[in-house]
Amino acid sequence: MTSPETSSGDSASSTPPSASAKAEEYVFGGLVVALGVFTLVDATTITARGPLGTVGPRAFPYAVGVLLVVTGVMAIVATLRGRLGPAEDAEDVDTSVLTDWPTVAKLVAVLVAHLALIDLVGWPVAAMVLFFGAAWTLGAIWWKALVIAVVLALAVQVVFASGLGLSLPAGVFEGVPLLDG
Amino acid sequence: MGSLTALLEGFATAAQPEYLLYALLGVTLGTAVGVLPGIGPAMTVALLLPLTYSLEPTAALIIFAGIYYGGMYGGSTTSILLNTPGESSSVVTALEGNRMARAGRGAAALATAAIGSFVAGTIATILLTALAPTIADLAVTLGPADYVALMVVAFTTVAALLGASPVRGLASLGIGLFIGLVGTDTLTGQQRFTLGVPTLSDGIDVVVVAVGVFAVGEALYVAARMRHGPVEVVPVGGKWMTAEFWRRSWKPWLRGTFIGFPIGTVPAGGADVSTFLSYAAEKKLAKRPEEFGRGAIEGVAGPEAANNAAAAGVLVPLLTLGLPTTATAAVIVAAFQSYGIQPGPLLFTNNSAMVWALIASLYIGNVMLLVLNLPLVKIWVKVLQIPRPYLYAGILLFAALGTYAVNFVVDDLIVLLVIGVAGFFMRRHGYPVAPLVVGLILGPMAEEQVRRTLQISQGSLTALVTSPFAAVAYSVLAAVLAFAIVLRVRRKASRPTAAPTP
Repeated sequence: MTSPETSSGDSASSTPPSASAKAEEYVFGGLVVALGVFTLVDATTITARGPLGTVGPRAFPYAVGVLLVVTGVMAIVATLRGRLGPAEDAEDVDTSVLTDWPTVAKLVAVLVAHLALIDLVGWPVAAMVLFFGAAWTLGAIWWKALVIAVVLALAVQVVFASGLGLSLPAGVFEGVPLLDG
Repeated sequence: MGSLTALLEGFATAAQPEYLLYALLGVTLGTAVGVLPGIGPAMTVALLLPLTYSLEPTAALIIFAGIYYGGMYGGSTTSILLNTPGESSSVVTALEGNRMARAGRGAAALATAAIGSFVAGTIATILLTALAPTIADLAVTLGPADYVALMVVAFTTVAALLGASPVRGLASLGIGLFIGLVGTDTLTGQQRFTLGVPTLSDGIDVVVVAVGVFAVGEALYVAARMRHGPVEVVPVGGKWMTAEFWRRSWKPWLRGTFIGFPIGTVPAGGADVSTFLSYAAEKKLAKRPEEFGRGAIEGVAGPEAANNAAAAGVLVPLLTLGLPTTATAAVIVAAFQSYGIQPGPLLFTNNSAMVWALIASLYIGNVMLLVLNLPLVKIWVKVLQIPRPYLYAGILLFAALGTYAVNFVVDDLIVLLVIGVAGFFMRRHGYPVAPLVVGLILGPMAEEQVRRTLQISQGSLTALVTSPFAAVAYSVLAAVLAFAIVLRVRRKASRPTAAPTP
């Protein structure tokens, strides 16, 4: 009769919403509303040109803007009433521990470093930084992570340069056979 | 008749060594990403979308379909052997399967899942073969207004009916629709929401969005609360080739198939619903219901079959109407589009050879998957044990590579990061990500159809609802929504009395 209850559903409803989780929900709901308002405002700047008697390029953006504003406000109201969105579960997630913000920040920093380095020193080095930085941040043994990072980045570079005919910027390896496509 | 010869010709194509190799590549990759936590078929297909530049359509689609089917097989291995279930559509499998594994009957659980997936996948592919051409013939008569109706149904069901919070599902849909708006309007050539940035004038690539929301979002989410220490895998034990195994499994397989396929077919799809229904049915019909919750094989056999049958069912609206109802299906639509092919009723007439080769490869892929997941399951157990820091670092590396390789511009990586962070917060607050991807891909199609309808009707809005098909679709949708609301209210009313004590 009743649908089977998953353990995740139980634990999600039984944990009392913390104040910080609530604050985060308000911010996210607010961002959805802000995106909707931006959509509505920016839609007015679209020069509406189209054959007479048809719907121009503005109508759909207006509808999307309204949808975002309405759902954002409703999400905020739901949060006000204590109905928080249940966090998604995943195999590797331990829902009982607190959010590890420093790790998240470090991963974002590693990604930023990666995209900033590509044009400076080339893709292989930027990729090594990304893999090594991410693995180390997540708790890998540093020298193992470094070895895998170097091998993986160079292997991908070789495959792209020789096999696929698409060349990733070699950067510091410019002119090196196999690595520079 | 006609479709049988077409299918045989499809087999002739798909059985060529080259295509067999592509199918094998697809199903192997699919099983691997199904087994590995943190990545799924949607993201893998998205990462491989650049293949469409160098491969011909039939080959690429055979790979993608293989990944799609393979992901369903691989997920069950993880939920049976890993102590920590995830991925919604296999949660039910974990209920019984994980307990069976811990009780030393892991081999039987894995076998019933693999064989059940094979039986269901094959029967459901037969049903797809039989139904799809007929539905395509009927769908040829549909006008733009009818398509608008179908898309509204798909949007509503994907966003609002599935998932815990309809409001958050719709918000996620809205974000996807917004991302779909960015770029140049196809009908008038106007720039929309590009902020004057040249990179954005071509729109935001599907690869960037899908990889951002799935790979980067998931990696950040896991990193925030990572389960540290070694990966705990239950050792596979016990025998499975017993008379009792077959006797208890075959009926749930068939029931699961016939529960899963229709649910996949209607745009209320999603494998989760079908697994829950199948589980409930098996529990009800069981001779020994007390075994449920302690490792009942029926509770693995049924839902796993349902799960795979639903996956095949999803292909019916995808191939005949061009309507994706899951995230993976949406990315596959993007693959079709990058070849300039619009999946829909004309697919069976215009690209008949390709589509039949694709369907034939599904049969072949199912056989390959049975081999990969039954005798070779030990390999996947090894894959499952990859230490997590390296796994997630690898996911991030390939996410960044796949994104960068689309246009070779760093700007795309900035967009990837922004969307990834958004995906992280969406996961934290119960905003499902599938509606975002479906909205991104269906949104531009929906806009075009709405505008075409209104162009024909000279701007009269009633044209959207007056076609008989559209009227029926909206009424059915209204009825389903009303039913869902009643259900929700009743559940809420019964809750305080049902669970007063923890």
